Amino acid sequence: MQPAIDKTIMNKDKNDQSPRGTMTKQRRIGNFFLILVLSIGSLVMIIPFLWMLFTSFDWQARLNIPFPPRFWPEEFSTRTYTLAFSNIPMLKYIFNSLIISVGVILVSLFSAVMSGYAISKLKFKGAAIVLVLALSTMMIPFEMTMIPQYLLFNYLNLLDSYWAFYLPALNFAFGTFLAKSFIDQLPGTLREAAIIDGAGEIKVFWQIYLPLCIPILATMAILQFLAVWNDLLWPLLALNTPDKFTIQLGLALFSYNKTTPMPSIIMAATTVSLIPVVVTYLFLQRYIVESIALSGIKQ
Amino acid sequence: MASKTVSEHSGVSTKVKRKFFSSRDWAGYILSAPLIIGILGFAVYPMVAAFIMSFQRTANSLTGDWVGLRNYVYVIGDSLFWKAVYNTFYMGVLSVILGVSLSFILATLIHNVPWLRWKNFFKGVYFLPNVVSLVATSILFTLLFNPGQGGILNFFLGFFGVEPIGWFTDPSVARFSIVLMTLWGMLGYNTIIFIAALTSVPRDLYEAAEVDGANWFKKWFYITIPYLRPIIVFMVIMGTISAMKRFTDVWLIGGTAGNPAGSLMTAVLYIYRNAFLSSQMGVATAASYLLFIMILVLTVSLLLLNRRSNFD
Repeated sequence: MQPAIDKTIMNKDKNDQSPRGTMTKQRRIGNFFLILVLSIGSLVMIIPFLWMLFTSFDWQARLNIPFPPRFWPEEFSTRTYTLAFSNIPMLKYIFNSLIISVGVILVSLFSAVMSGYAISKLKFKGAAIVLVLALSTMMIPFEMTMIPQYLLFNYLNLLDSYWAFYLPALNFAFGTFLAKSFIDQLPGTLREAAIIDGAGEIKVFWQIYLPLCIPILATMAILQFLAVWNDLLWPLLALNTPDKFTIQLGLALFSYNKTTPMPSIIMAATTVSLIPVVVTYLFLQRYIVESIALSGIKQ
Repeated sequence: MASKTVSEHSGVSTKVKRKFFSSRDWAGYILSAPLIIGILGFAVYPMVAAFIMSFQRTANSLTGDWVGLRNYVYVIGDSLFWKAVYNTFYMGVLSVILGVSLSFILATLIHNVPWLRWKNFFKGVYFLPNVVSLVATSILFTLLFNPGQGGILNFFLGFFGVEPIGWFTDPSVARFSIVLMTLWGMLGYNTIIFIAALTSVPRDLYEAAEVDGANWFKKWFYITIPYLRPIIVFMVIMGTISAMKRFTDVWLIGGTAGNPAGSLMTAVLYIYRNAFLSSQMGVATAASYLLFIMILVLTVSLLLLNRRSNFD
């Protein structure tokens, strides 16, 4: 072994004289620490999820947090899930959330891509005003408009119905902005050529430009899905009948009104509520991350 | 049939010019109609209605008796409102400063990972809490942050000799616990945007600096940070706006009273209480206008601050 050590020491001395050699060695150590630090951070991010998952199977934690606290359930059981499903009609709520999400996505995406196209390519009289107006509504926080909006839907007798979600989706100003900047980059000659061939404006939009907008529509759909799925405040105001609750509202009210901690049952319910988004995230992770980055940079 | 007339005329632009609105204009209006209806119905109308309501005494309708500035006087004289504003700012400032600086460091670290596979892995992991709803996060953290020795975090800290902390039960700690929870949930969002921005910094700037003998810290401090300043300002503004609107987590954790001891009472929670618990819509809309003005002043002053330092 002795000669080997000597050799490495010699090598090290040699490397010290040539800057390139130390660079790579330094960099290798640096990379090691980089990965180490980031991995420890990742653990901090992941541990709450793991604790949630393990606790959700812990039969002894169905009423109170066991002492001493633990990660691994002492009495593994799936009955906690049965209890969660019997206490909270989760499937119903998830289904409701899906319906609302799909409706909001359809309404808001159509509104956004149509107006984005009109502003970008048709440049109708007043297009600039519409764009400025739309952009300035992005500055208005929802918390500001929620009271009149609630009273308006109350007046229209549309509270406790999903119209209270679909109608406000008409104003998806950020989507209009995204669509407009996307369509700006598409050539206008497509439209002119089609018009000369006798196609109508609406037909040009529908048959030529709409299919080209699919990438930006996918981005908008992802952003809207995450926003609608995770929203609590408006469902809390707009929905009264438990049958119509979204998953967030159902889960929140169950947690809000419970009298004992019920860790494993509430963790089981939370786990189930996360499945749709987390599965979507696992499959579309790259697109979701790209969409978020795009939306951040665009704003 | 609007589309039919459009198709008949639009080909011949000279003929249409006589009319004030060409068929192209009409098509534009038809396509923008949903957006315009949406803006008028769900942005302009509520803003105007809220403004009018803030001068009225109304219980549960859109009309009421005119009371002048009385709602505003009430809100401004209400110590609970100022407590709520203070708490909102306290949590907002902490979470923005910690969130932006931590995610910037994190983004720099991830950006420097030489292997694409690891890079994508870290991006994915750090972003994961961001797709989780605030409802789920709050429920999860009330259990993780359980006071006493039963909470897993207190248990873990016990190994280091730390006394059990009343994360969400001690009024002096609760706001900070909310900030920690927010950091966990939101860190990935800022990080992803920072990483996207970092990749847009031109490589030759770094290479030129290397030739001049700059070390990594100098490169980071003199190239990366100035280059990303617009993004940092954007983050601070967006973070401030969303922090001013804090509701879901404090409502779930502290209830409508913002417990413990009102330390989690926020401005939006104050609005919510007045509007939907005590049916004082006038007071609530007055408070919401005051909150809106605060957000506007903050945003504009952050933008001005940024512009002024641009001239330096």
